Amino acid sequence: MGRRRRGSGAAGVGALPEAIAALSRALPGGPSPETFRRAKFDRPEAVPALRRLLLGLLSSLPEDGAADPDGQARLLRSALCARGYPRGARLPESGAGGSRELLLALAWLLAREPLLERLLARARVQLGDEVTACQCELQARPCPPAHGVDTEGPVDIRFLQWLMGKLQIRWRTLASSQWEHCALLGQIHAYTQGCHSDRELGHLSVPETEALRDPEGGQQLLWRLQCENKRLEAALQWRRCELLFWQWMDSVLVTCPPEEASRPPTPPRLSGLLLSPVSRELELLSRELQTLQEGLREAAGPLRVAWEARAGARGPELEAWQQMVQMAVTRELVALKQTWEHGRAPPQPHGPCRLVQSQAAVPAGLGLQAAELMGVLRSQEACLEEALSQLQAQCQQELARLSGALPGLLWILPSHGRLAPTPSGTR
Amino acid sequence: MLPADSSRRLVAELRGALDACAERQRELERSLRVSRRLLRAWDPAETPAPEPSPGRASEDPAAGKPASPASPAHGGAAPPRTVRGPPPAPALPPRTPTPQELKELELLTQALEKAVRVRKDISKAGQRSKTASLKSGSQAAAPAPATAVPPGASGRAGSRAAETRPSRGGCRASGPARTMTPGPQATKTGPGLRDQHEPPSADPHSPEVFRLKEKGTLLQLPSAYRKAASLNTRLWTQLSSTSMGDARDAAAAAKNRFLQTLQAAPASSTLSVAEVEAEVARLRAACSLLRLRQDEVLAADPGDWKQEYRRLLTLDGLGAMATECLQRLQDLRTVAEQQPEPWPEGRPPGTPLPCGPGTDPLWHPQRLLYSSTRELQALADLRLRVAMLKQQLHLQKVLMAELLPLVCRTEPPDLALCRAAHSLLCEGGQHFLCVLRDEAEPVD
Repeated sequence: MGRRRRGSGAAGVGALPEAIAALSRALPGGPSPETFRRAKFDRPEAVPALRRLLLGLLSSLPEDGAADPDGQARLLRSALCARGYPRGARLPESGAGGSRELLLALAWLLAREPLLERLLARARVQLGDEVTACQCELQARPCPPAHGVDTEGPVDIRFLQWLMGKLQIRWRTLASSQWEHCALLGQIHAYTQGCHSDRELGHLSVPETEALRDPEGGQQLLWRLQCENKRLEAALQWRRCELLFWQWMDSVLVTCPPEEASRPPTPPRLSGLLLSPVSRELELLSRELQTLQEGLREAAGPLRVAWEARAGARGPELEAWQQMVQMAVTRELVALKQTWEHGRAPPQPHGPCRLVQSQAAVPAGLGLQAAELMGVLRSQEACLEEALSQLQAQCQQELARLSGALPGLLWILPSHGRLAPTPSGTR
Repeated sequence: MLPADSSRRLVAELRGALDACAERQRELERSLRVSRRLLRAWDPAETPAPEPSPGRASEDPAAGKPASPASPAHGGAAPPRTVRGPPPAPALPPRTPTPQELKELELLTQALEKAVRVRKDISKAGQRSKTASLKSGSQAAAPAPATAVPPGASGRAGSRAAETRPSRGGCRASGPARTMTPGPQATKTGPGLRDQHEPPSADPHSPEVFRLKEKGTLLQLPSAYRKAASLNTRLWTQLSSTSMGDARDAAAAAKNRFLQTLQAAPASSTLSVAEVEAEVARLRAACSLLRLRQDEVLAADPGDWKQEYRRLLTLDGLGAMATECLQRLQDLRTVAEQQPEPWPEGRPPGTPLPCGPGTDPLWHPQRLLYSSTRELQALADLRLRVAMLKQQLHLQKVLMAELLPLVCRTEPPDLALCRAAHSLLCEGGQHFLCVLRDEAEPVD
């Protein structure tokens, strides 16, 4: 694998060092190409760099230089097994060895998903004022991270009410701060119209204006941009020579000692700690699906009755037509299923977008129009409000049933509407 | 009082929601600070000097035409091509300050404080004659420290610079100084240049002050930045484009082969955590998509019998899919319940795919066009509202799951709990109901 003559084109063996060098440049804090070669031969010197890289990729915990290598090795093993790494049993449990296994783990991560692109996107230098067109990331973590739970004991429900109230106040403050922020953004964009070298953008963004105001900051921005460009170029180069890398990885796999059948696979799968949030999510989801199912059944009922009543005196043409409609509907539903199964991008805008103030009427194809996005958001809003009021109605029924079971008490519900709450409105 | 485990879960959820909100607020405040600063008068110590056309270093900044920041345009000591490390002080190598420098620093601080005082007098009196004393003050202060005082800006910068600048005054002054003339001559040319500004304007304060409102359109990005930014966009577009031809296909095939060889280990039938999460995310997406389609179908106006039949078939199909999803969910639950294993670090720090299962994690440059501030505000408002509703919906489900069983089960019924639960669950915490005994004696 050493220094060979430069092969012509990407197919030459001599391009392998270039491929590895490109990979090492593209990875954040990437290990040197030498580390890769050492790892193939399971040299212990390659271990720290690879372990550091993998931990950085997998875990969001801060880098702890003083953490013991054994602990790090175990953490890495758990993290990889949680992702479904098949060779988890062969990962080192102590800090000392196993650089070849670490290299294989890295290759596995690279193979499964566009890891480099994802890392680059995560660490991207933002040059514009960005707004994410979708809100998906908010749903990803419904469970709060396990920070110090100080109220171990039972709490009064009033404490919960207080927390809810606090939350509402925070949302309102957020809304007003955002209002101001948008106003300022609008001003900055308006005042710098015509300055940008890119005619399509037209005006400067806040990071760019800030870079002009503060030369040091501008210098930093430029430096970061140049670093990112280098990494992007390295990633593109790696993409070009990727084939060689995978062929090389095959050879690494071959040099591994044969599998020991006696080694019991002990990768931890799901944990007791993990169980409750996951099973709670599943519980909530199953309730939703059940409600949905019932709703569909109820809605289909009258339609079916009407159809049965009507479909009395038709003949074979009807059957043919029925089959055709059935096929069409099946096709539609299969397409729908594909959307969530294989994650075909939903026909909605998503991802971060750079804000551009533009008075032009229809710069078609240039970008997303705010009005479109607002339409999408409004329909989402309507859906969510509907869902929320359905749930609230459900609760209302449950509690009404409960109150019905308690004789001798009058339940006076608050009057609805946007007035100030008065406790004495009878329903 | 609520039982301990319910309490813990509910408090954790609410605290999580509060923290998420606080995090957004912090980020927003950060952006607000930056934006507000940009719209105020810019600190002339940092005011961008004109971008020199190649060769001419001492271009006269006529009529307030600040263009680009000095350092990146020039590249200063290094050609713009090379990448330097993050340069905190491009002109000064980091070293411990000598006693000489400390003394100079002290003199500088004194000079700046004096300038602040003088400036205060000016703003109180508002007379032009005082500007002469300002300039003389700055000129007296300027030659004293060898590292240049920000020329003519000591007055203006005084109030802010006094506390933040003294330690960086050297670095900062070297910036603009570099484009005008290198070295301590800047201190002389500075006030000199300012002289030219003074006469034309009647206002002693505004000549060097840069306001985005008035002069924003004169700004210009440095060429190094422009090149880097356009290269950046080009590279991102290249990276995110999927078509790269034969090389890509061959590489993909090799990749899959490698994966298969790797996975030749006995495939365990159990799912890993990440797989479970991914499956749950898919099912969640399925649920919302099914519901959306259901709403569409039900919202359509009833048409002729053909359309009705089609609607019927669609609803049936949706129902079948819902059943299927429920089945998968049930399978997942049995899997989840069968696999207790101690987890050393709590929740695995996986990175969730941001936009749902399987969508493209790549970023490519996109733009969002808006036409007026009002539209932007409306958009931001809507986004916030949708986010808030999502959170509310989630909290509603959690509260329902925890509180309803408690309320229905406790014997004798805890009326305070009922009332609070009603308020939380049915009114979003906004309104309360009243419970009265029949004897017209209020319970609460």
